[in-house]
Amino acid sequence: MQILISIDDTDNLESPGTGALASRIAVDLEDNGWGTSSFITRHQLLVHPDIPYTSHNSAMCFQARIEPQSLEQVISHAAEFLTRESAPGSDPGLCVAVIDRLPESGEIIQYGRTAKESVLTKESAYELARRLGVHLSEHGGTGLGVIGALAGAGLRLGGNDGRLKGQLAFAEPGGAVSVAALRDREDIDEVRALDGSSVENRDMVRLGDKVKTVLLDGRAILLVVPAVGQSDGVRWQTCSRQQLKEY
Amino acid sequence: MIASATALQESALGIDDWAEAARIAAACGSFHPDEEDEQVADEPCSCYNCRYRRWTAAAISCCRR
Repeated sequence: MQILISIDDTDNLESPGTGALASRIAVDLEDNGWGTSSFITRHQLLVHPDIPYTSHNSAMCFQARIEPQSLEQVISHAAEFLTRESAPGSDPGLCVAVIDRLPESGEIIQYGRTAKESVLTKESAYELARRLGVHLSEHGGTGLGVIGALAGAGLRLGGNDGRLKGQLAFAEPGGAVSVAALRDREDIDEVRALDGSSVENRDMVRLGDKVKTVLLDGRAILLVVPAVGQSDGVRWQTCSRQQLKEY
Repeated sequence: MIASATALQESALGIDDWAEAARIAAACGSFHPDEEDEQVADEPCSCYNCRYRRWTAAAISCCRR
């Protein structure tokens, strides 16, 4: 079965971030032989005076394929891990959703979208989780992280929100690579222009210092913009951090 | 020109003042880079990439003041 594991509000100013904890849960899932984990995505939620958050209010989520009999072990492990590893003063929440068991109404996706625009309550998160048959639990503090955890799962399932955790590694950082070569990589599903222009396999892409992908149409997409500053036949360059800020 | 994190706190740097955020961070003894996934400025040393900044809808504030 395919599941989503989403966590939120696990850190403080001095501790490892929520993304680091998500990575450790994903590794543990594989090390314990429960299944295989896919990439982790970061989902920006609303920043608002009525929402307590450490510094940026983002949730982290990943999809995993596990055997059905491992589900309870995965949930128990993630819950115990968050209780043990979350930082003092944090309000951690955990969401585990079995994708095939979710109704087709798309309510969890809509919940995620709403969490980017509105202040939500813990009670409404639990109510929706109950109705959808989704695991939702809190592991310290006020437990308000359940809101972001549920929203993170919805945004990941929606497939059109967030940046993938980590940077892409290249043999020659700063060099130029063909679109065809980029599309051949396992960590890039597609190369697209930020403005929607057509990107051809023969086109060359100059690599920036930090190369990251974003989640669009449920896939890891490398966004590029027209190359500037050089006339060496390179048509595109990877997006800067600033250009990816809104994802 | 703002010259310190204290000044940042008082001025409430906006969310798109990239050059100013880099200038402030370069002069700040408390700058500490956040995890890569939370960095959004192209300049490595920038208040926007600092572990101790806090985002609001229209500004960032410094938690190290």
